[in-house]
This record gives sequence, C-alpha cells and structure tokens, in this order.
Amino acid sequence: MVYSRYGGMLYSYVLQFVPDKTEAGALLVDIFSRLAPQLQEAFDSSLSVYCWLQVESRKMILEHLRSKGMGTAAGAILGRGPGTTVSYFSLLEDAPPEHQWVFRELFLYGKSKEELARQCGKDLAYVSQLLRECLGMIRKNLG
Amino acid sequence: MNIELYLQSGIVESYALGLATQREVEEFEQLLPHYPELKEALRDFEYHLELFSIDNEVPPPAEVRKRIEDRLRELPAISDPRQGGTRGGRTEFVAATETSHHIRVHKIWRTLFIAVFVLAKIFLILAIYYFIQYRHAEKALRQSPPSPAASQK
Repeated sequence: MVYSRYGGMLYSYVLQFVPDKTEAGALLVDIFSRLAPQLQEAFDSSLSVYCWLQVESRKMILEHLRSKGMGTAAGAILGRGPGTTVSYFSLLEDAPPEHQWVFRELFLYGKSKEELARQCGKDLAYVSQLLRECLGMIRKNLG
Repeated sequence: MNIELYLQSGIVESYALGLATQREVEEFEQLLPHYPELKEALRDFEYHLELFSIDNEVPPPAEVRKRIEDRLRELPAISDPRQGGTRGGRTEFVAATETSHHIRVHKIWRTLFIAVFVLAKIFLILAIYYFIQYRHAEKALRQSPPSPAASQK
C-alpha cells in the first residue's frame, strides 16, 4: 500500500539525485526494503509519512553516492537533469546561480553549511542567508 | 521566543526536506508541541510538497515492486518480545504487570447493557404497577360487604 501510494513519488525523488533509471530503480528497491520494517517510525514522527520517507531516503541515497565516491560528481543537475523529471530545483529556476549552488550542494550532496562557507570563502551567516532565501522561494513557488 | 522570526529562518522547510542539523531538529521537535503556528506551517509545507510530488511522479519500472516483495520475503521475521510469540514451536510468555484500573470489552456489551437496563426499568415499572393494583384489589375486597351466600353458610 505504501509502495502504491508513494512509489512513483519517491522514484521521481531518487531521480533528482541519480539520473540513471536503472540505478534509481535499484536504489528504490533498497529504500523500500530497508524502510518497510521501520514504518512505525514514520507514523510516530512529527513529519508526514511522505516527508519522513523522503528524509530517510535522502540519507540512504547520500550514503550510496558517498560509497561510490560520487559525493560531488552526481552532476551539475539543475532544473531538469538528464533523464529526470521536474525536480525541486525547478522551484529555484529564477534564483541567482549562487543560491542554486548553495541549495544543490546542501540538498544533493549533503554538505554542511560550514563546508560551503569554507569552500566559497564566505562566513556561515552568508550561506545561511542564501539557504533561507532558497527555502523561502521554494515555499512561495510550491503554493 | 519570536515564533515569526523563527518561521522566517526557514526551519520548517529545512526540517521537512531533511536539511536541518541534528541540533536544529531537536530544537524544532521540542518547540513543536508548544507552538500551533509551527505545526500549521509544517502541515502546510508538507501538503504543498506532497502535491508537487504527486504532480511530478514518475512510475517506477515494473520489476521494482516484485524485487521489493522478494527482498521483504527474505527478511527474517522479527517478533517483538513484548508481544510474546513462538520460537521453535514453543510458546513464550512474557510476564505482564497490570497497572490500569480500566478494562476493555467488546462493543456488543454496550448494546447488551442498554437492553438489560431498559428491560430492568420496564420490569420495575410493571412490578410497581401490579403491586399498586394488588393493593387496590385487596382494599376493595376488605371494604366490600360479604355476599349473602357466604353469610348463609
């Protein structure tokens, strides 16, 4: 039942990180078989079942990408990545490139704000500000 | 705490997207039960995120469902020791201490209780009615003069 309802949504979510459909399918199998026994946690969580599934899936996807040494190589996927459907990045299409970069590094590659601040030679407050603006745009564009 | 400012920090979106740090998550979960505004903002964001995801969902390859089912079948059946269970054909019991003063019964008992209660009331009313009737009859008998046939004997 959970798969029938959320399978397509999660597959589309996985494709944001892993554009290859075969690899995304294999990841989806991993995600559902690992999360199915923990579903009670989803019902006990403060998050909705779908958001809980997303959050937990993201952890597994990032773990998978890191194990493959793809922490930063998943591609410059922005907007519509190759083989992917509309991703959350489509909600940031109008954002300046720096904003998109911050969101991509944090969301797709699981980097910390501290890492990003070091990487771009700015302070943490600056990165936090960009992320805050990105999240505001996402909220606004969602509805 | 200025909850408006806190909401504007993007914490709700960070939390729902899994971008919040462990410290932020703990703080948010502590505040959540105390601020309905947070709960509302979270529900609203989740709702729109889910709608967006429904609009953009991609059907997974057909074999994925089968592979998940196969994988789940391979998982060992884990029974919660608190629930008791059988292991090696032997039934295991877990000692339980009852602390509640309440009992839970089947719903049919509610109907039965109401029926018994109503019947009891009906019988009580009938009993009172017949008792009064009996008293009236007894009184009437005592007051009525003896019949001539009875007096001749």
